[in-house]
Amino acid sequence: MQGLLMQMLEGTAVSLRIFFLTILFSLPLGFVVAKGRMTSISIIRWITDLYIQIMRGTPLILQLIFVYFAPYYIFGASYDRFTACIIAFVINYSAYFAEIYRSGLQSIDKGQYEAAKVLGFSRSYTFFHIVLPQVIKRILPALGNEVITLVKDTALAQTIGVSELFRVAQTASSRVFSTVPIFIAGVFYFVMNYIVSRLFSIFEKKLSYYR
Amino acid sequence: MREMIRLENLSKSFSGLEVIKNISFTLSEGEVLSIIGPSGSGKSTMLRIITQLERADNGTLTVDGMTMFHSEDGRAIYSKPEDLRKIGLKMGLVFQSFNLFPHFSVLRNITEAQRAVLRRDKAEAEEKAMLLLRKMGIEDKANQYPFQLSGGQQQRVSIARALALDPDMLFFDEPTSALDPELTREILKVIRELAEERMTMAVVTHEMHFAKAISDYAIFMDNGVIAEEGIPEELFGNPKEERTRKFIASFEE
Repeated sequence: MQGLLMQMLEGTAVSLRIFFLTILFSLPLGFVVAKGRMTSISIIRWITDLYIQIMRGTPLILQLIFVYFAPYYIFGASYDRFTACIIAFVINYSAYFAEIYRSGLQSIDKGQYEAAKVLGFSRSYTFFHIVLPQVIKRILPALGNEVITLVKDTALAQTIGVSELFRVAQTASSRVFSTVPIFIAGVFYFVMNYIVSRLFSIFEKKLSYYR
Repeated sequence: MREMIRLENLSKSFSGLEVIKNISFTLSEGEVLSIIGPSGSGKSTMLRIITQLERADNGTLTVDGMTMFHSEDGRAIYSKPEDLRKIGLKMGLVFQSFNLFPHFSVLRNITEAQRAVLRRDKAEAEEKAMLLLRKMGIEDKANQYPFQLSGGQQQRVSIARALALDPDMLFFDEPTSALDPELTREILKVIRELAEERMTMAVVTHEMHFAKAISDYAIFMDNGVIAEEGIPEELFGNPKEERTRKFIASFEE
């Protein structure tokens, strides 16, 4: 029993690594994608739109398989599973975050930009001090939703053989002929997401001083 | 007299529709100009071109001796960005919808540009802000947020925000259109006080009595042209054009 818990904690550590690395790269990258989606240069806008459509329109599980196996079939070279898993998660989540950012950016009244311009603020000052804080407040609920989904999606990494929490639980489950390990994994996911959603409510509360 | 605005032959179209046709006027230091006319007549667009929120198609605009744009081969050629920036700092604009920054306190709404744009230090900026809030009669609101204020109070904050940068002239784009009659009076009182201090101003408004009372000169715009202009006693009291008469009469009911 103790050995099982240790294995599951190791699996959790892998899941958390996937989670944090995906957040670390896709949060900023999503912003770049959002900018591309909103640019006036039509070719860039068209490409980013296609990219977002593909990422949202196909299963993440398929994207994982594609990212891991495509280089093998095309170049005959295989590479690290974990790296492939991170790449797949990052390109998938960047697309979702991009759409959240876009909705936030487009919800800002153009009067805010106009007031800032007339007062003489530079474009970057306007973005970082006037627009961005308001965007963050508005997108926080949608962002929280997506981050919670990410915690659960890490279970898909097993498709390409990454030993994350769910895979460890499944393996243990078939070894001991019991579904108990899977239920334990369920509790683990629940605890992780409980922490995530508490954190988001704290952020939301912190930003509730204005409307 | 120092000429703050000299606008010559301004024209502007939005996707083929000509909203301003060959408009010219001047505004001298200490003068109050009111601009009236039906919606869609081009009043706001003209103000937005002067405050650089829209670009002119053709014409020449000189602001306090500096050229913002001039006409060349039938189009408006804008001056270099540094000059446009300097010109922009000479003017303040008060919007119909206030456009305060909701995430900043009232005080910070007024200090932010002083600090970031004029590089004033915190104490100086706050002193200036408090002085203006006192003048607007809302110094007790300094630490509140815009959503906690009435529309009239928000508009007073936005006037203070514009004045904090010590502009040479102040423009108002229908400053009371979003307010009920009582709050409208609050704002008109503030503008009247500024007029008494000889602040150079141009006001786009639907408040006919107010426009008549405070302005030195009035313009009636209709369909993108200045249909009639003159001293307020003439324009409001004895309009020559039929459409001016009709427009002003529509407010008398």
